[in-house]
Amino acid sequence: MLVLTRKTNESITIGHHIRVTVVEIRGGQVRLGIDAPKETPVNRTEVYESIVRENRKASQAPGDLDRIKDLLPAEMRPKSK
Amino acid sequence: MEPIKTTRFGDMDIEKDRVIRFPQGLPGFPDEKQFVLMEHKPGSPFMWLQSADTPDLAFVVTDPFLIVRDYLQDAPALDRDRIWEKNGDKPLLLTIVNIPQGEPRKMTVNLQGPLVIDVQDRTGKQVILARSGYSTRHPVLHE
Repeated sequence: MLVLTRKTNESITIGHHIRVTVVEIRGGQVRLGIDAPKETPVNRTEVYESIVRENRKASQAPGDLDRIKDLLPAEMRPKSK
Repeated sequence: MEPIKTTRFGDMDIEKDRVIRFPQGLPGFPDEKQFVLMEHKPGSPFMWLQSADTPDLAFVVTDPFLIVRDYLQDAPALDRDRIWEKNGDKPLLLTIVNIPQGEPRKMTVNLQGPLVIDVQDRTGKQVILARSGYSTRHPVLHE
């Protein structure tokens, strides 16, 4: 991992389009400002990882959905008889 | 187009214009860039999002508004902008269903990471909501 030292209001530039600025340092916390193109999603890593985890689990879907339909709440039950 | 090979549904002849492109893949599946959306059965609340490239990769998806009627209604602007990028956007929103093996009563939907599909362009993405307070594991069944 590349490690750089920065002060408040200093920034780093990643590629041509992403800039991360140290906005505030206080106590054990750093506030970062991130400028990135719209198509580059920026997320807290733990949130991103929780989506990864759910996606991996959901990808193991059982094939037998029909057995599940009786469990469903009324508004989700199949409409045709 | 070559038939799409799937482990759950066999070989499927899919018209090219039914493929939905996910230019960024999905979190955890960054190289999966083409999917097909299929009804499970007529009238079923479930649909399948089948990978066009990986036969055994398919997600069960459903309409999030069936589960939370006012889904996203009070979402902060930051999150709304991630879904409705342009004025007048009317994307199809879906949520991925997680059905634990052998414990279907514990099924959950990922309301924090909705799938946003542009029906005109046939492109999709999974948006991660930052501030709306929705869970990645929202239970479908209460009690």
